[in-house]
Amino acid sequence: MKTLKEMLAEARQVIPEEGPADLQRRLASGEPVTVIDVRDPDEFRDGHIEAASNISRGFLEFRVASAVPDPKTPVVLYCQTGLRSMLAAKALHELGYEKVINLQGGYQKWAQSGLPTVKEATLSTDQIQRYSRHFLLNQVGDKGQRRLLRGKVLLIGAGGLGSPTALYLAAAGVGTLGLMDGDVVDITNLQRQVLHTTADIGKPKVESGTRTLKALNPDVNVIPLPTRITVDNVMDVIKDYDLVVDGSDNFETRYLVNDACYLAGKRNVHGSIFQFEGMATVFAPNEGPCYRCLYPTPPPPGLVPS
Amino acid sequence: MQATEAVKLLLGIGEPLIGRLLTYDALGMRFREVRLRRDPNCPLCGTSPTIKDLSIHHEGAAACAITPNGREAAAAPARTGA
Repeated sequence: MKTLKEMLAEARQVIPEEGPADLQRRLASGEPVTVIDVRDPDEFRDGHIEAASNISRGFLEFRVASAVPDPKTPVVLYCQTGLRSMLAAKALHELGYEKVINLQGGYQKWAQSGLPTVKEATLSTDQIQRYSRHFLLNQVGDKGQRRLLRGKVLLIGAGGLGSPTALYLAAAGVGTLGLMDGDVVDITNLQRQVLHTTADIGKPKVESGTRTLKALNPDVNVIPLPTRITVDNVMDVIKDYDLVVDGSDNFETRYLVNDACYLAGKRNVHGSIFQFEGMATVFAPNEGPCYRCLYPTPPPPGLVPS
Repeated sequence: MQATEAVKLLLGIGEPLIGRLLTYDALGMRFREVRLRRDPNCPLCGTSPTIKDLSIHHEGAAACAITPNGREAAAAPARTGA
Protein backbone atom coordinates (compact mmCIF):
# COMPACT_ATOMS: atom_id res chain seq x y z
CA MET A 1 0.00 0.00 0.00
CA LYS A 2 1.21 3.51 -0.93
CA THR A 3 1.48 6.25 1.62
CA LEU A 4 0.15 9.75 0.94
CA LYS A 5 3.74 10.94 0.77
CA GLU A 6 4.52 8.46 -1.98
CA MET A 7 1.40 9.40 -3.93
CA LEU A 8 2.34 13.09 -3.78
CA ALA A 9 5.90 12.34 -4.82
CA GLU A 10 4.60 10.36 -7.81
CA ALA A 11 2.31 13.19 -8.81
CA ARG A 12 5.16 15.71 -8.60
CA GLN A 13 7.06 13.65 -11.17
CA VAL A 14 4.51 14.55 -13.84
CA ILE A 15 2.87 17.77 -12.63
CA PRO A 16 4.82 21.01 -12.74
CA GLU A 17 4.23 23.57 -9.99
CA GLU A 18 4.06 27.32 -10.28
CA GLY A 19 3.95 29.92 -7.54
CA PRO A 20 1.33 32.65 -7.04
CA ALA A 21 3.40 35.24 -8.94
CA ASP A 22 3.61 32.94 -11.99
CA LEU A 23 -0.15 32.48 -12.04
CA GLN A 24 -0.67 36.21 -11.63
CA ARG A 25 1.56 36.78 -14.68
CA ARG A 26 -0.36 34.21 -16.73
CA LEU A 27 -3.66 35.86 -15.86
CA ALA A 28 -2.36 39.35 -16.58
CA SER A 29 -0.92 38.33 -19.96
CA GLY A 30 -4.37 37.43 -21.26
CA GLU A 31 -3.16 34.06 -22.61
CA PRO A 32 -5.76 31.30 -22.37
CA VAL A 33 -5.64 29.55 -19.02
CA THR A 34 -8.33 27.88 -16.95
CA VAL A 35 -8.04 28.13 -13.19
CA ILE A 36 -9.94 25.57 -11.14
CA ASP A 37 -10.42 25.73 -7.39
CA VAL A 38 -10.83 22.09 -6.29
CA ARG A 39 -11.81 22.86 -2.71
CA ASP A 40 -15.31 22.39 -1.30
CA PRO A 41 -17.91 25.07 -2.09
CA ASP A 42 -17.87 26.53 1.43
CA GLU A 43 -14.10 27.04 1.27
CA PHE A 44 -14.51 28.65 -2.16
CA ARG A 45 -17.18 31.03 -0.88
CA ASP A 46 -14.95 32.16 1.99
CA GLY A 47 -12.40 33.47 -0.49
CA HIS A 48 -10.95 32.50 -3.86
CA ILE A 49 -8.99 33.72 -6.85
CA GLU A 50 -11.37 35.72 -9.02
CA ALA A 51 -10.54 33.92 -12.27
CA ALA A 52 -11.20 30.50 -10.77
CA SER A 53 -14.17 28.22 -11.28
CA ASN A 54 -15.07 25.96 -8.41
CA ILE A 55 -15.17 22.24 -9.16
CA SER A 56 -14.72 20.26 -5.94
CA ARG A 57 -12.20 17.47 -6.05
CA GLY A 58 -14.94 14.83 -5.86
CA PHE A 59 -16.63 16.09 -9.05
CA LEU A 60 -13.52 17.05 -10.99
CA GLU A 61 -13.38 14.19 -13.47
CA PHE A 62 -17.12 14.49 -14.13
CA ARG A 63 -17.24 18.23 -14.74
CA VAL A 64 -13.85 19.15 -16.12
CA ALA A 65 -14.88 18.66 -19.75
CA SER A 66 -17.34 21.57 -19.65
CA ALA A 67 -14.82 23.84 -17.89
CA VAL A 68 -11.92 22.92 -20.18
CA PRO A 69 -13.25 22.00 -23.62
CA ASP A 70 -9.78 21.92 -25.21
CA PRO A 71 -7.34 19.51 -23.50
CA LYS A 72 -4.44 21.63 -24.83
CA THR A 73 -5.49 24.68 -22.75
CA PRO A 74 -3.25 25.15 -19.72
CA VAL A 75 -5.13 24.34 -16.52
CA VAL A 76 -3.99 25.59 -13.14
CA LEU A 77 -5.44 23.79 -10.15
CA TYR A 78 -5.34 24.91 -6.58
CA CYS A 79 -6.68 23.92 -3.17
CA GLN A 80 -5.94 25.37 0.25
CA THR A 81 -2.26 24.42 0.54
CA GLY A 82 -1.47 22.67 -2.74
CA LEU A 83 -1.72 18.99 -1.76
CA ARG A 84 -5.28 18.04 -2.73
CA SER A 85 -4.82 19.90 -6.00
CA MET A 86 -1.58 18.02 -6.70
CA LEU A 87 -3.45 14.72 -6.61
CA ALA A 88 -6.31 16.27 -8.60
CA ALA A 89 -3.81 17.52 -11.20
CA LYS A 90 -2.42 14.02 -11.64
CA ALA A 91 -5.96 12.73 -12.27
CA LEU A 92 -6.48 15.38 -14.98
CA HIS A 93 -3.11 14.55 -16.50
CA GLU A 94 -4.18 10.90 -16.70
CA LEU A 95 -7.43 11.96 -18.41
CA GLY A 96 -5.31 13.46 -21.19
CA TYR A 97 -5.12 17.15 -20.26
CA GLU A 98 -1.77 18.14 -21.63
CA LYS A 99 -0.78 21.12 -19.55
CA VAL A 100 -1.89 20.74 -15.96
CA ILE A 101 -0.12 22.91 -13.41
CA ASN A 102 -0.42 22.88 -9.64
CA LEU A 103 -0.46 26.19 -7.79
CA GLN A 104 2.33 25.73 -5.30
CA GLY A 105 1.28 26.60 -1.75
CA GLY A 106 -2.38 26.82 -2.86
CA TYR A 107 -4.83 29.54 -2.00
CA GLN A 108 -3.15 30.13 1.33
CA LYS A 109 0.12 31.19 -0.27
CA TRP A 110 -1.68 33.24 -2.94
CA ALA A 111 -3.55 35.19 -0.23
CA GLN A 112 -0.44 35.56 1.93
CA SER A 113 1.43 37.01 -1.05
CA GLY A 114 -1.07 39.87 -0.96
CA LEU A 115 -2.62 38.93 -4.30
CA PRO A 116 -6.29 39.82 -4.82
CA THR A 117 -9.00 37.47 -3.61
CA VAL A 118 -12.75 37.66 -3.72
CA LYS A 119 -15.26 36.56 -1.18
CA GLU A 120 -18.54 35.21 -2.34
CA ALA A 121 -21.54 36.51 -0.49
CA THR A 122 -24.35 33.98 -0.54
CA LEU A 123 -27.17 35.12 -2.80
CA SER A 124 -30.48 35.38 -0.98
CA THR A 125 -33.59 33.56 -2.22
CA ASP A 126 -34.91 36.90 -3.46
CA GLN A 127 -31.70 37.61 -5.33
CA ILE A 128 -31.73 34.17 -6.93
CA GLN A 129 -35.21 34.93 -8.25
CA ARG A 130 -34.52 38.53 -9.17
CA TYR A 131 -31.48 37.69 -11.27
CA SER A 132 -32.71 34.31 -12.54
CA ARG A 133 -32.85 35.58 -16.15
CA HIS A 134 -29.19 36.56 -15.89
CA PHE A 135 -28.32 33.07 -14.69
CA LEU A 136 -29.76 31.68 -17.92
CA LEU A 137 -27.21 33.63 -19.96
CA ASN A 138 -23.95 31.74 -20.35
CA GLN A 139 -21.94 34.94 -20.45
CA VAL A 140 -23.41 36.21 -17.19
CA GLY A 141 -24.52 33.35 -14.97
CA ASP A 142 -24.16 33.16 -11.25
CA LYS A 143 -20.52 34.23 -11.40
CA GLY A 144 -21.26 37.27 -13.58
CA GLN A 145 -24.08 38.34 -11.30
CA ARG A 146 -21.76 38.31 -8.29
CA ARG A 147 -19.35 40.36 -10.34
CA LEU A 148 -22.07 42.89 -11.12
CA LEU A 149 -23.01 43.02 -7.44
CA ARG A 150 -19.38 43.83 -6.64
CA GLY A 151 -19.24 46.40 -9.47
CA LYS A 152 -19.00 50.12 -8.82
CA VAL A 153 -20.13 52.58 -11.48
CA LEU A 154 -20.09 56.36 -11.26
CA LEU A 155 -22.83 58.13 -13.20
CA ILE A 156 -21.99 61.70 -14.03
CA GLY A 157 -25.30 63.42 -14.55
CA ALA A 158 -28.75 62.22 -13.50
CA GLY A 159 -30.46 63.75 -16.50
CA GLY A 160 -31.52 62.56 -19.94
CA LEU A 161 -28.69 60.05 -20.38
CA GLY A 162 -27.94 59.27 -16.74
CA SER A 163 -31.58 58.44 -15.92
CA PRO A 164 -32.12 55.43 -18.19
CA THR A 165 -28.56 54.22 -17.68
CA ALA A 166 -28.92 54.35 -13.89
CA LEU A 167 -32.26 52.52 -14.03
CA TYR A 168 -30.87 49.69 -16.15
CA LEU A 169 -27.71 49.34 -14.08
CA ALA A 170 -29.70 49.26 -10.85
CA ALA A 171 -32.14 46.73 -12.30
CA ALA A 172 -29.23 44.54 -13.43
CA GLY A 173 -27.86 44.53 -9.91
CA VAL A 174 -24.72 46.61 -10.22
CA GLY A 175 -23.88 46.79 -6.53
CA THR A 176 -22.70 50.36 -6.14
CA LEU A 177 -23.92 53.31 -8.16
CA GLY A 178 -22.51 56.77 -7.55
CA LEU A 179 -25.02 59.34 -8.75
CA MET A 180 -23.47 62.74 -9.27
CA ASP A 181 -25.47 65.82 -10.22
CA GLY A 182 -25.66 69.28 -8.70
CA ASP A 183 -29.03 70.24 -10.22
CA VAL A 184 -32.56 70.21 -8.88
CA VAL A 185 -35.49 68.73 -10.76
CA ASP A 186 -37.25 71.18 -13.07
CA ILE A 187 -40.62 70.58 -14.73
CA THR A 188 -38.93 70.79 -18.14
CA ASN A 189 -36.74 67.79 -17.22
CA LEU A 190 -39.61 65.39 -16.72
CA GLN A 191 -40.37 64.71 -20.38
CA ARG A 192 -37.15 62.68 -20.64
CA GLN A 193 -35.37 62.35 -17.30
CA VAL A 194 -37.21 59.25 -16.13
CA LEU A 195 -35.56 58.99 -12.70
CA HIS A 196 -37.64 61.89 -11.43
CA THR A 197 -41.36 62.44 -10.89
CA THR A 198 -43.67 65.44 -10.78
CA ALA A 199 -43.55 65.41 -6.98
CA ASP A 200 -39.77 65.84 -7.15
CA ILE A 201 -39.82 69.28 -8.77
CA GLY A 202 -37.45 71.51 -6.83
CA LYS A 203 -35.65 68.63 -5.12
CA PRO A 204 -32.05 67.68 -5.83
CA LYS A 205 -31.87 65.21 -8.72
CA VAL A 206 -29.66 62.85 -6.73
CA GLU A 207 -32.32 62.70 -4.02
CA SER A 208 -35.15 61.68 -6.34
CA GLY A 209 -32.74 59.51 -8.33
CA THR A 210 -31.61 57.64 -5.23
CA ARG A 211 -35.19 57.03 -4.14
CA THR A 212 -36.21 55.71 -7.57
CA LEU A 213 -33.19 53.41 -7.84
CA LYS A 214 -33.57 52.02 -4.31
CA ALA A 215 -37.26 51.37 -4.98
CA LEU A 216 -36.36 49.48 -8.15
CA ASN A 217 -33.65 47.39 -6.51
CA PRO A 218 -32.87 47.56 -2.78
CA ASP A 219 -29.67 45.52 -3.39
CA VAL A 220 -28.02 48.55 -4.90
CA ASN A 221 -25.98 50.86 -2.75
CA VAL A 222 -26.71 54.27 -4.26
CA ILE A 223 -24.28 57.00 -3.30
CA PRO A 224 -25.81 60.43 -3.88
CA LEU A 225 -23.25 63.08 -4.80
CA PRO A 226 -25.25 66.32 -4.88
CA THR A 227 -22.58 68.41 -6.50
CA ARG A 228 -21.27 69.35 -9.91
CA ILE A 229 -18.12 67.58 -11.01
CA THR A 230 -15.19 69.99 -10.92
CA VAL A 231 -11.44 69.91 -11.38
CA ASP A 232 -11.13 69.97 -7.59
CA ASN A 233 -13.32 66.92 -6.85
CA VAL A 234 -13.08 64.74 -9.96
CA MET A 235 -9.99 62.68 -9.10
CA ASP A 236 -11.15 62.06 -5.58
CA VAL A 237 -14.60 60.95 -6.73
CA ILE A 238 -13.64 58.64 -9.61
CA LYS A 239 -10.95 56.75 -7.70
CA ASP A 240 -13.55 54.65 -5.87
CA TYR A 241 -15.23 53.34 -9.04
CA ASP A 242 -14.52 50.62 -11.60
CA LEU A 243 -15.85 52.72 -14.44
CA VAL A 244 -17.47 56.02 -15.25
CA VAL A 245 -20.59 56.72 -17.30
CA ASP A 246 -20.52 60.22 -18.70
CA GLY A 247 -24.02 61.54 -19.18
CA SER A 248 -23.05 65.17 -18.88
CA ASP A 249 -24.58 67.93 -20.97
CA ASN A 250 -21.67 70.27 -21.65
CA PHE A 251 -18.27 70.23 -23.30
CA GLU A 252 -16.36 71.53 -20.31
CA THR A 253 -17.45 68.54 -18.22
CA ARG A 254 -16.82 66.07 -21.05
CA TYR A 255 -13.22 67.24 -21.44
CA LEU A 256 -12.74 67.20 -17.68
CA VAL A 257 -14.18 63.68 -17.30
CA ASN A 258 -12.14 62.48 -20.28
CA ASP A 259 -8.89 63.86 -18.93
CA ALA A 260 -9.49 62.63 -15.38
CA CYS A 261 -10.50 59.14 -16.54
CA TYR A 262 -7.43 58.88 -18.77
CA LEU A 263 -5.10 60.02 -16.01
CA ALA A 264 -6.72 57.69 -13.47
CA GLY A 265 -6.84 54.75 -15.91
CA LYS A 266 -10.65 54.44 -15.75
CA ARG A 267 -12.84 53.47 -18.66
CA ASN A 268 -15.43 56.05 -19.62
CA VAL A 269 -18.72 55.08 -21.24
CA HIS A 270 -19.52 58.20 -23.15
CA GLY A 271 -22.85 59.27 -24.57
CA SER A 272 -24.39 62.43 -25.92
CA ILE A 273 -27.65 63.51 -27.46
CA PHE A 274 -28.68 66.47 -29.57
CA GLN A 275 -32.28 66.77 -30.67
CA PHE A 276 -32.97 63.55 -32.59
CA GLU A 277 -29.40 62.32 -32.73
CA GLY A 278 -27.43 60.40 -30.22
CA MET A 279 -24.03 58.82 -30.05
CA ALA A 280 -22.15 56.48 -27.78
CA THR A 281 -18.64 55.15 -27.47
CA VAL A 282 -16.24 53.84 -24.84
CA PHE A 283 -13.00 55.61 -24.08
CA ALA A 284 -10.56 53.09 -22.62
CA PRO A 285 -7.15 54.47 -21.61
CA ASN A 286 -4.41 53.09 -23.88
CA GLU A 287 -6.80 50.65 -25.58
CA GLY A 288 -8.44 53.17 -27.90
CA PRO A 289 -8.88 56.86 -28.59
CA CYS A 290 -10.01 59.42 -26.03
CA TYR A 291 -12.47 62.28 -26.34
CA ARG A 292 -9.68 64.64 -27.36
CA CYS A 293 -8.70 62.34 -30.25
CA LEU A 294 -12.27 62.66 -31.44
CA TYR A 295 -12.78 66.36 -30.68
CA PRO A 296 -9.44 68.16 -30.40
CA THR A 297 -11.29 71.44 -29.83
CA PRO A 298 -14.75 72.24 -28.54
CA PRO A 299 -17.19 73.94 -30.91
CA PRO A 300 -17.39 77.71 -30.50
CA PRO A 301 -19.72 78.71 -27.66
CA GLY A 302 -23.29 79.22 -28.84
CA LEU A 303 -22.98 76.96 -31.88
CA VAL A 304 -24.22 73.87 -30.13
CA PRO A 305 -26.73 74.32 -27.32
CA SER A 306 -26.19 71.84 -24.54
CA MET B 1 -26.79 51.63 -24.83
CA GLN B 2 -24.51 53.13 -22.18
CA ALA B 3 -25.92 50.72 -19.60
CA THR B 4 -25.28 47.72 -21.84
CA GLU B 5 -21.72 48.85 -22.45
CA ALA B 6 -21.16 49.37 -18.71
CA VAL B 7 -22.45 45.87 -17.92
CA LYS B 8 -20.26 44.33 -20.64
CA LEU B 9 -17.19 46.11 -19.29
CA LEU B 10 -17.93 45.02 -15.73
CA LEU B 11 -18.33 41.42 -16.87
CA GLY B 12 -15.48 41.46 -19.38
CA ILE B 13 -17.73 40.00 -22.09
CA GLY B 14 -18.47 40.79 -25.72
CA GLU B 15 -16.97 43.54 -27.82
CA PRO B 16 -17.15 46.90 -26.14
CA LEU B 17 -17.46 50.12 -28.18
CA ILE B 18 -13.77 50.92 -27.77
CA GLY B 19 -12.52 52.68 -30.89
CA ARG B 20 -15.99 52.74 -32.39
CA LEU B 21 -18.53 55.53 -32.34
CA LEU B 22 -22.13 54.45 -32.69
CA THR B 23 -24.47 57.15 -33.90
CA TYR B 24 -28.23 57.01 -33.78
CA ASP B 25 -30.57 59.06 -35.89
CA ALA B 26 -34.05 58.81 -34.41
CA LEU B 27 -35.88 60.51 -37.30
CA GLY B 28 -34.33 58.30 -39.95
CA MET B 29 -34.18 55.41 -37.44
CA ARG B 30 -30.67 54.56 -38.53
CA PHE B 31 -27.58 53.47 -36.65
CA ARG B 32 -24.15 54.12 -38.05
CA GLU B 33 -20.78 52.95 -36.83
CA VAL B 34 -17.68 55.05 -37.30
CA ARG B 35 -14.28 53.57 -36.57
CA LEU B 36 -12.12 55.82 -34.42
CA ARG B 37 -8.38 55.80 -34.23
CA ARG B 38 -6.11 57.16 -31.60
CA ASP B 39 -4.59 60.48 -32.60
CA PRO B 40 -0.81 60.25 -32.18
CA ASN B 41 -0.85 64.06 -31.76
CA CYS B 42 -3.48 63.93 -29.03
CA PRO B 43 -2.37 66.30 -26.26
CA LEU B 44 -3.62 63.80 -23.66
CA CYS B 45 -3.05 60.24 -24.92
CA GLY B 46 -0.75 60.87 -27.90
CA THR B 47 2.92 60.05 -28.23
CA SER B 48 4.14 63.28 -26.65
CA PRO B 49 1.37 64.46 -24.40
CA THR B 50 1.22 68.02 -23.11
CA ILE B 51 -1.61 67.38 -20.66
CA LYS B 52 -0.15 65.49 -17.72
CA ASP B 53 -2.49 66.64 -15.00
CA LEU B 54 -5.73 68.56 -14.67
CA SER B 55 -4.14 71.97 -14.21
CA ILE B 56 -5.44 73.30 -17.55
CA HIS B 57 -8.96 72.91 -16.21
CA HIS B 58 -8.21 75.56 -13.62
CA GLU B 59 -8.09 78.04 -16.48
CA GLY B 60 -11.83 77.72 -17.07
CA ALA B 61 -13.54 77.03 -20.36
CA ALA B 62 -10.43 77.82 -22.38
CA ALA B 63 -9.01 74.60 -20.98
CA CYS B 64 -10.84 72.50 -23.52
CA ALA B 65 -9.39 74.37 -26.43
CA ILE B 66 -5.79 73.28 -25.96
CA THR B 67 -4.04 72.13 -29.11
CA PRO B 68 -0.74 70.31 -29.06
CA ASN B 69 2.31 72.39 -29.82
CA GLY B 70 0.79 74.88 -32.19
CA ARG B 71 -0.79 72.20 -34.32
CA GLU B 72 -3.93 73.30 -36.07
CA ALA B 73 -6.80 71.33 -34.54
CA ALA B 74 -8.27 68.80 -36.93
CA ALA B 75 -11.79 69.63 -37.97
CA ALA B 76 -13.11 66.10 -38.12
CA PRO B 77 -12.38 63.03 -36.08
CA ALA B 78 -9.91 60.55 -37.49
CA ARG B 79 -12.02 57.96 -39.20
CA THR B 80 -11.56 55.06 -41.54
CA GLY B 81 -14.97 54.87 -43.08
CA ALA B 82 -18.32 54.02 -41.62
